Amino acid sequence: MSDVRKIVIQDPKKRTSREEEIFQILHDVQDAEFDIDIVDMGLIYGVHFDDKKQSVIVDMTFTSMSCPAMDFMSDDVVERLISEKDIKDVSINVVWDPPWNQEMLSQDGVKGLNDWGVIKWV
Amino acid sequence: MFNLKEESFVENRLKEDKYIEEISMMSPKYLDGIKKILTVSADTELVSAPAYYLAAKDAPTTNAFISAMGIIQDELGHAHIAYRLMEDLGINKEEFIYERDPKSFRYPYAFDVPLVTWTELAVANAFYDRAGFVLLDDVFGNTTFGPWKRALVKVGKEEGFHLRHGETWMKKLVKDPVGKERLQKALDWMFPLTVEWFGLPDSLKTQNIQLEYGFKGQSNDQLRQTWMSTAVPLAESLGLKVPAHYCENKKKYVLEYPFPCKFDAQEKKWLFNEGEIPWIEPNSDGYSVMKRWKKRGEMNDEFVEILQKGHKQVCQMLER
Repeated sequence: MSDVRKIVIQDPKKRTSREEEIFQILHDVQDAEFDIDIVDMGLIYGVHFDDKKQSVIVDMTFTSMSCPAMDFMSDDVVERLISEKDIKDVSINVVWDPPWNQEMLSQDGVKGLNDWGVIKWV
Repeated sequence: MFNLKEESFVENRLKEDKYIEEISMMSPKYLDGIKKILTVSADTELVSAPAYYLAAKDAPTTNAFISAMGIIQDELGHAHIAYRLMEDLGINKEEFIYERDPKSFRYPYAFDVPLVTWTELAVANAFYDRAGFVLLDDVFGNTTFGPWKRALVKVGKEEGFHLRHGETWMKKLVKDPVGKERLQKALDWMFPLTVEWFGLPDSLKTQNIQLEYGFKGQSNDQLRQTWMSTAVPLAESLGLKVPAHYCENKKKYVLEYPFPCKFDAQEKKWLFNEGEIPWIEPNSDGYSVMKRWKKRGEMNDEFVEILQKGHKQVCQMLER
């Protein structure tokens, strides 16, 4: 059984420098359908790096519980992070509360979805 | 009845790089041509739903099943888009979908061969959806029928997701020796079947209205090359064998088997060693590709019945 942690969206100021780097690295992982990455999509709630264990826990959500791309976006996150020299283990902690909403998109995410004609942000 | 335009009206409009927006701007020839290409697109998307569902039942996890069902839902949506456009061209959508004879559905023969395993679904997403993507991307870039072009924005994004699903699962499965063996077995029959997907070679095409009227931009042989330009590297990157390679001298992909050739649908096996067969007129043994396509395969009746059954049942119930 894993520890039950209360999930909140991580305050960027509380990330260590390596956690911030890992967070930024996740810009390399694309959304399943749209040409924007999962960080700009607002799917990454937190990154927790343990340098002694060389492990990362990624708090991640999806736009809906029936998202058809949950598995392979999770796999893409693991595949990208495990390629880092100081990371040997990656766990995805799927988070449903707080639920994702459009306000979690970054400015680049909003622009990306606007460009793709998915949302009209007023 | 619609009042159609003279041929010269369509020709002038296309010369001015203007789209054909509705039936009142079409000539009889344009209308006939656009209906034909939309029928193939709509029927292909629709029949892919039961074809994929058969294999989706083999999903290894609930999440994987959700992914497959998401793809199937997309395909039904794509079919609906094309049938809806046809409705504006004077087709009775309900009759067209629910009362047509299975043999008159116009989709690639590949879907008449059952996909029964998760591995086969992964390869279908990577190969068949790639074929669909290549065809529709070409239509998107070149079609002169405005409403279809606009509708394809959504379709293209979703087909991209289907491709990625197939590729991701192929990458996962290939890591295991048994998985790799299964993938190779699937590729052995599904690769040549997708090569066939693009239809008659250019040398045998008697009319090119689809190109002349800009319903699409690339010829069948060009589309086949476009498909191979990503399908072959995908297989090679995973250490899987496909009977095709890029020829530096010819500057194109070449097939390493007699094309076209006989296919044993029951065994899911290509009979490469029996040599090339004709595309259209049957040879002395009675074989041709067109004959196989027209006869359709074992799943044709079953899939169309699945698609029509519910509608017929409800109609009968309401008539009581």
